[in-house]
Amino acid sequence: MRRKILVLLLCISMAAAMFAGCSPQGGSQTPTPTTPPSGGSTQTSEDKVTLKWALWDYESTPYWGALIEEYKKVKPNVTIEYTDLGSTDYMTVLAAELSGSGSEFDVVTIKDVPGYATLVQKNTLEPLDSYIKAAGIDLSQYGGITDQVTVDGKLYELPFRSDFWVIFYNKDIFDRAGVEYPTNDMTFEEYDALARRVTDTTFGSEVYGAHYHTWRSAVQLFGILDGKHSILDSDYSFFEPYYEMVLNQMRDGVAMSYTDVSTEGLHYSAAFANGNVAMLNMGSWFIATLISSLERGDYDPELCGNWGIVKYPHAEGVEPGSTLGTITGLSVTAVSKNKQEAFEFVKWVSGPEGAAVMARTGNFPALSTEEVKSIIASLDGFPKDEQSKEALEVSNLYLEVPYAPNVSEINAILDTYHKMIMSGEISIKDGIAAMNEEVAKLK
Amino acid sequence: MAAGKPDKSELDKGRKKRAFKKNLVAYSFIAPNFIGFAVFTLVPITFAFLLAFLEWDGNNPVKFVGLENFKALVKDKFFIASLKNTIIYSIGTVPLTLVSSLGLALILNREIKGRAFFRTLGFFPYVASLVAVTSVWTMFFHSSKGPVNAVLYYVFRVPKENLPNWFTGSLVLLMLILFSVWRFMGYYMVMFLAGLQTIPRELYEAGTIDGANAWQRFRFITLPGLRPTTFLVSVMLTINCFKIYDIAVMLAGGSTNTLSVSSMVLVYYIYQNAFNFWKLGYSSAVAMVLFVLVLAVTLIQFKGQSKYANE
Amino acid sequence: MNSVKAMRILSKSILYLLLAIMTVLMILPFLWMLSSSVKLDREVFNMNPFVWIPEKPRWQNYVDIWTKVPFFKYVQNTVFLTIVVTCLQILTSSFAAYAFAKLDFKFKDRLFFAYIATIAMPWQVYMVPQFLMMRSFGLNDRLLAIICLQAFSAFGVFLMRQFYLSIPDSLCEAARIDGMSEYGIYARIMLPLSKPAIATLTIFTFVATWNDYLGPLIYLKSQDKKTIQLGLKMFINQYSSEYGLIMAGSVMSLIPVIIVFLCLQKYFVEGIASTGIKG
Repeated sequence: MRRKILVLLLCISMAAAMFAGCSPQGGSQTPTPTTPPSGGSTQTSEDKVTLKWALWDYESTPYWGALIEEYKKVKPNVTIEYTDLGSTDYMTVLAAELSGSGSEFDVVTIKDVPGYATLVQKNTLEPLDSYIKAAGIDLSQYGGITDQVTVDGKLYELPFRSDFWVIFYNKDIFDRAGVEYPTNDMTFEEYDALARRVTDTTFGSEVYGAHYHTWRSAVQLFGILDGKHSILDSDYSFFEPYYEMVLNQMRDGVAMSYTDVSTEGLHYSAAFANGNVAMLNMGSWFIATLISSLERGDYDPELCGNWGIVKYPHAEGVEPGSTLGTITGLSVTAVSKNKQEAFEFVKWVSGPEGAAVMARTGNFPALSTEEVKSIIASLDGFPKDEQSKEALEVSNLYLEVPYAPNVSEINAILDTYHKMIMSGEISIKDGIAAMNEEVAKLK
Repeated sequence: MAAGKPDKSELDKGRKKRAFKKNLVAYSFIAPNFIGFAVFTLVPITFAFLLAFLEWDGNNPVKFVGLENFKALVKDKFFIASLKNTIIYSIGTVPLTLVSSLGLALILNREIKGRAFFRTLGFFPYVASLVAVTSVWTMFFHSSKGPVNAVLYYVFRVPKENLPNWFTGSLVLLMLILFSVWRFMGYYMVMFLAGLQTIPRELYEAGTIDGANAWQRFRFITLPGLRPTTFLVSVMLTINCFKIYDIAVMLAGGSTNTLSVSSMVLVYYIYQNAFNFWKLGYSSAVAMVLFVLVLAVTLIQFKGQSKYANE
Repeated sequence: MNSVKAMRILSKSILYLLLAIMTVLMILPFLWMLSSSVKLDREVFNMNPFVWIPEKPRWQNYVDIWTKVPFFKYVQNTVFLTIVVTCLQILTSSFAAYAFAKLDFKFKDRLFFAYIATIAMPWQVYMVPQFLMMRSFGLNDRLLAIICLQAFSAFGVFLMRQFYLSIPDSLCEAARIDGMSEYGIYARIMLPLSKPAIATLTIFTFVATWNDYLGPLIYLKSQDKKTIQLGLKMFINQYSSEYGLIMAGSVMSLIPVIIVFLCLQKYFVEGIASTGIKG
């Protein structure tokens, strides 16, 4: 008897869980959680709209607040309420939140392409094409990046921030070694030779010619700059020369070994700030970090205050200025009840006005114009030399990870074997063979 | 457990009535916890069981795929690697932690000076934040700057290029085992300490009068008295070992939190499939394997315990 | 006689030697935390030369954790959650465990099995279904969600049951013959006898709730509902990880846990004989 009741009870609650999971209405009547800074009125009258926006690291990232402030001036009837999901597990929390259509978010920030792919495949984002058409937005102004995240002819995000990789270098180290600075037009051979020349392996006062962060992008993706390859190819043998170059540098003490960097969890910013790294390949977001950390006194100007940037090195016969890119975008959720208003906000942030706000806070908007570049180059603390300013010119931008249905899995496989190759657990050839084999299985 | 069997000579009706009342009293004890437990844990878990036979990304409609998820497991290199690593890790960690936590509890159950201090110290690695303690360990075993390798280099004259990389290859599991023993020793020590308090002191006094030596007192009084605690500790220890996740990521994941084939563990793979790939069905299938494994070990321990209990 | 004395001295010194080794092993990370908490980010992993106390100790870290994020609010939330969860956990677990250990009833073994089985299931597996269910109950972004998740754990029941098992049945039998109800036996005999077990469960629940990260991460999103662990993670942000702040926060968050442990460890000192009941 009691057992039957128990079973019955179980079934009912299971059904409830299923319902919550799959039904389009599930949980739509959940009470509204109040979100700072401005809790209170939600849609009291027709023209007053509240949009809920998911983002990360509100306190330490100046542009979120600036964007909200500025938008309030443009559209006083729209209140933007943000929710800070933190950056460490942002895409995981967001994807969980958007599961099962009970979410309250109207606008969500897209941190990376694998996360974007997840949300698109889960059908949680609204295709923006019809809105874009109606608003007459010219997508070519984004320099072709939107094509790399278009899914079956549909676009689900508009980028508002776009970072590209450059070489940061420490001028003092080059001066002390009597070696000329890197230039905006270097082949990989020249780059390698330069790194070796500036290196000093004296025990106790090592100077590293180059530094590579543990991300696979920092090593593997030198290979995609010729425009002929991408990580969606299922043959990764084009990684090989770059793995060889970097591993040889690490063996010869030109760069810190991967195991050391990885076990210490050494952050690239700390590595550069220590003043014994001559060149660091990193994304343009590091410009803002460097400027503000030096200004606050977190970094010692004696060690790294005299820095500059140059364009990424390039393969023989390829135009300089090709580099890797990462975009941050905004999307409208499929469950939003204010889709038009939400899109208006997305449009504004990714448009010229949002771009100006981004540039003012030292960040690179996706909508890159000459004006934006001169704003950044004239920021206090930005290197004064012409080369550094020129380095901001990008000729070709290849996304670190372009869109593909199973890009998260490809990403994970490449990460795993990258780690094994770099730490010497597996040879370069075997590692690449394993990448090819595992990625082929996905198809 | 054998307490209060209904008297056979009683009338059948009365017996039933009494049994009913007895059940009711018992259920009233369980209810407050069970209701919360059933709603918030049992229901989602049951759903997770079903998930293993489904394909679901958390939003789109579910699709029934039968045993497909399990069939795919057999061919999955990463799954097999993580299963192997988890088993090796557990085999290494469980006995070591069991013995060292019991030893620690026995020492700290004696009346020694500064006992409270030492107990707190023993418990410390468990409560300290994982970020903090893993960073100490990684520095300690750092391949080029760590004191351990320095000793190997200067004292044992191991050539520089042969110095071990403690967090890669086959050594990483050893690292995980050592770290876990160190971290969890104090945790299980607390359980043993509490268990030791339930052994009546008279038994020891009687034992001493009968001329039992320290070892005999331990073997014939302490161990039997600790049996329920030992069962608790070994079950929890096994389960927790099989569920290893954050320690592996923090210690072996490096700055990218990626585990390579030599350090991948089951829950990492479960997490990756669930939250990076959103293959919830597949990740649930992996969890089923973990679940069956843990349950099998627990049942063996259960059998072992009841055998001793009837001795 | 002399050899016995020598043996005793020898065993005492081995004992203290072991304790000394243990002290070093256990105290090292604590010192590391303290030392790192007054360092700059880039100094934390500087090994050559390694300094315990930097030239210019950065006490600012201890100020910054309170000002850079609303740490005080996080502390409040964490304290609230921890206290409620611990109390509920102790009450319901010890209650249920009594039935499992000392009463006989239908489906006892099956129910108990269900409890143990759920411990074996990693939370990551049922986290998503659970989240969807909780949200449909309207518990998203509420502290209540964490209470519901943590307060009815199977582990508590398991732990208490095992301790009750080692208390002789004859005690209950005697009380039953005296006409005491089961509730009376629970309250007047079992509870007082299980002080060490309750202390243990209190410590474990306290630590688990205090240090929980994944649960609050999924459920608590508003700034005014976050917990200490979420707050600490905010120092690892996208463009840098501020180890100094993390360590300072860790040191601060450790203090209450240590106090709780110190207060409760005194319950691990007396065998049940001293309560005057003979088995």
